Amino acid sequence: MSGELLLGFPLAILAGGAVLAYLIARLFRASGDVLAVFVAVTLAAAIVPLIGIRAGPDARSGWVLLSVGSVLLLGDPGALVVGSIALGLGSIVSLYSSRYVVDPDRVKLYYPLLVLLVAGLLGMVLAGDLFSLYLFCELMSLSAYALVAFQRGQGTAIEAGFKYLIAGSLGTALLLFGISFVYRAGGSLLLVSRPAELAQDPWARAGIACIWVGLGVKSALVPLHTWLPDAHGRAPSSVSAMLSGVVVPSAFYALLKVGVGLSFPVGKLGGLLVGLSLLNMTLGNLMALVQSEVKRLLAYSTIAQVGYMMFAVGIGLRYGAPDAIQAGFYLLLAHAAMKGLAFLCTGLRSSDARVAAWRGTARQLPLVAAALAISLGGLAGIPPSAGFVGKWLILIRSLRQAELWALVTTFVFLLNGLISLGYYLPLIGAAFRPAGSTHEAAARPSAWIGVPLVALGGLVLAIGIHPAPWLGWMSGVGPALLAWGH
Amino acid sequence: MQTFELATILAAPVMAAVLLALLRGRARRYAGWIAACAALLSMIGILLLLPALQRGEAPVLGMPWIPTAGITFGLRLDWLALPFVVTEAGVTLIAVLYSWGYHHVDERSHLYYALLMLFAAGMAGTTLADSMFLFYIFWELMLVASCVLIALWGEGERVGAVALKYFLFTHFGSIMVLAALVLIYGQAGSDSFAVLRAGVRLSPALTSALIVLFILGFSVKMAVFPLHLWLPDAHTVAPMSVTIMLAAAMLSMGTYGIVRFPFSAFTLEQVAPFGRAMMVGGLVSAIYGALMSLAEQDVKRIIAYSSVSQMGYVLFGLGTLTEDGMVGSTLHVIFHAIVKALLFMCVGLVVRATGRRLIGELGGLGRSMPLAAVCSGVGVLAIAGVPPLALFDSEWMIFAAGFQSAHVWLGALMVLASLLTVAYALWFWVRIFFAARPDGLVLRQVSMGMIAPTVGLAFLTLVEGVLPGPLFAWAQHELPLLLGGIW
Repeated sequence: MSGELLLGFPLAILAGGAVLAYLIARLFRASGDVLAVFVAVTLAAAIVPLIGIRAGPDARSGWVLLSVGSVLLLGDPGALVVGSIALGLGSIVSLYSSRYVVDPDRVKLYYPLLVLLVAGLLGMVLAGDLFSLYLFCELMSLSAYALVAFQRGQGTAIEAGFKYLIAGSLGTALLLFGISFVYRAGGSLLLVSRPAELAQDPWARAGIACIWVGLGVKSALVPLHTWLPDAHGRAPSSVSAMLSGVVVPSAFYALLKVGVGLSFPVGKLGGLLVGLSLLNMTLGNLMALVQSEVKRLLAYSTIAQVGYMMFAVGIGLRYGAPDAIQAGFYLLLAHAAMKGLAFLCTGLRSSDARVAAWRGTARQLPLVAAALAISLGGLAGIPPSAGFVGKWLILIRSLRQAELWALVTTFVFLLNGLISLGYYLPLIGAAFRPAGSTHEAAARPSAWIGVPLVALGGLVLAIGIHPAPWLGWMSGVGPALLAWGH
Repeated sequence: MQTFELATILAAPVMAAVLLALLRGRARRYAGWIAACAALLSMIGILLLLPALQRGEAPVLGMPWIPTAGITFGLRLDWLALPFVVTEAGVTLIAVLYSWGYHHVDERSHLYYALLMLFAAGMAGTTLADSMFLFYIFWELMLVASCVLIALWGEGERVGAVALKYFLFTHFGSIMVLAALVLIYGQAGSDSFAVLRAGVRLSPALTSALIVLFILGFSVKMAVFPLHLWLPDAHTVAPMSVTIMLAAAMLSMGTYGIVRFPFSAFTLEQVAPFGRAMMVGGLVSAIYGALMSLAEQDVKRIIAYSSVSQMGYVLFGLGTLTEDGMVGSTLHVIFHAIVKALLFMCVGLVVRATGRRLIGELGGLGRSMPLAAVCSGVGVLAIAGVPPLALFDSEWMIFAAGFQSAHVWLGALMVLASLLTVAYALWFWVRIFFAARPDGLVLRQVSMGMIAPTVGLAFLTLVEGVLPGPLFAWAQHELPLLLGGIW
């Protein structure tokens, strides 16, 4: 089958899946378990066509274009990788949700929203023109707002969702604004084969700036990150896993795609990313250091981790190094698995969100404690985890540059790794410390919870110990992005 | 067959750790046995490879790991690694045996021994690794395993804080090492140590930066003043068998790092500008450690600070950049491991028997614990450099190297500094065993499991002091591999 049609399949599967999930819940009063399995299978099925698309040997021939009406889909290697990661994590989170989101009246909304979230995300990264990018970005965002406020009865869920809504809407409004500017400049919204001189046009420049700020809100670029700790900290843990694990990094990929797609000079783009990444990792890590609530801590850690990805990709774009970009995407994959796992773990200790409340987890819930240690150890970059492999791959590239700027930024990057230990280690330590006076009996997690945890934990270990196939999968990303900008 | 034996050195502790983790509570009673068998296997693996080394071969094991990034999985045993891997394996075996008596069997015993084995595997892997990526992984495994041991089995109020400090501080050193490794890797394009053996040719500025990064980074692990701040707390809080492994084996890894990286990759001319700084650093550390030992009250801290002092000797010896300095430092690492393990075991006996740790509350134990008194006596006399005990030979060579170097006055100061060592060592011994016995000191029975390895080590200290020949020959084999092979 030709590649173009394959590109349309995942979105079609997801659209059908969302509707079917709602209908099944409504008409057959199906239980949460049935819906969870159905959604998990739907999301997993959507990966198959994405994997089936083979990139050609030449970077440009790696693109697959499909236009449906006014929507243009562009399957570049990076989008395929990010999309597959999102589908995979979504599938696992869906299984986990079967025992996590249990309110029978609400599950019929939860699963369709989850599918729509992933569909919007997938459409956004696959978008080949700015119009479809906006469309899918809104779909993703709306589902995300609703999911953040999903446990509306609990504490500040509504407030967090509302805050997210305001910040996110500002972002999408700016995005739309920027798109109109870009259209005025060139009369085209395509992200491919734009003449390079177009980027010189002042309208186009203003447009790119607006789009960047708009998508910057979604991808939590410091200082546009303020909504994130509230949203990720208050959302149901399964939703936090999706938001932190894939939604934020995929918005970053959309930002990257717009940058190179609108012919912004690649070298400058890289320099800008490196500069912004320093803000992200430093602020994210320092703020995480002073958090006492586990989920907020993990949320700030996401800001820092996105900073690491930006750093890697920025170095790659600035110095024309595809392997650094590859390292950034490897980190994206690793982060999705690790952060997803960490948030899924927090869902099993929801009665108290403080770090100290994790004491005694190793005795009561050994599986959860082990999963938490694996994921946090990976996020902290302790060898032989995936986080460490990513760090090593980035360092190889960044330290090879003779430029002072590269060395200074690399130093900041290394220092940040050290700072981050200051909050990951006490959390791991708390989980393995004996419980204090308040002894809380925890229910043994069922297989519905255990299987996703083991699967993600195994994935984290596999990515770290045997990185070769994963890196091979992403080998096309760097050359494609670099070729795109020229 | 060599690859099999090479793999055994590393695989035995790893498999033991996996086995213990899988057996969980069922292995509780046999956990110590399983660990000891693994440690013994590891040791046998090394000894079986000795003939090959004597024939001038270097057993290797290599396979690709992450081909796209040029990363390989390589193990190799050469003369440079041998003294350190032997030290590590020997100390592990002794620490496990000592644990039989020291560690109370409880529902987490299997985890305790599994982590000890991982700690050992980390150290064995560090010495055997033949590629930089792998080296760093084991280097950090060593840190992670020991940190978990301290955090979960440590004694005292501030265990969590001490473990965190230990991790952050030594990880800071690791980052410097990592940066240096990646720099070399980036220039050479291969992470195999073959690059180092061939000699790395880089710009002078980069070479100097690398040497500084390596020496500073590894000095953190060696706990040389002023990078020692993690050591006294970590060694005091850790359970005794872990302290033995930390003090006797893990400190050696810092020395191994310096010998393996800057000293093997660069030539004498390139390293020479840093020789004096190393000598001064070593001297200051020797004096500082000895003074702190004199000032401390906690018996475990006294011996811990003595490590800071002794590692100062080693760094001083390396810094002389002479033949005697290299051999002396290597021998000093091995002998220090034996003597330091012995002293910590004696401290363990005293603490277990009396339940007290402040030296002011101890005294007059010589009559009631004659064996401990004799063993401690051997230990303190050795650390004071009294012939014919183990450390005398290596100290002699380090002093001699100091006088052969360009900075004779530093050598002279070093000899004077050793007087302080005599002072704290003898004070420690006399105060505990021969001073007036304080009131209310009640002695408890100490298990044979703790006494037997202590006596064994005291005997070994004597033997090594009288017959240093074989070890001396081992250490000399490493000379052609160092500093561009000038010797």
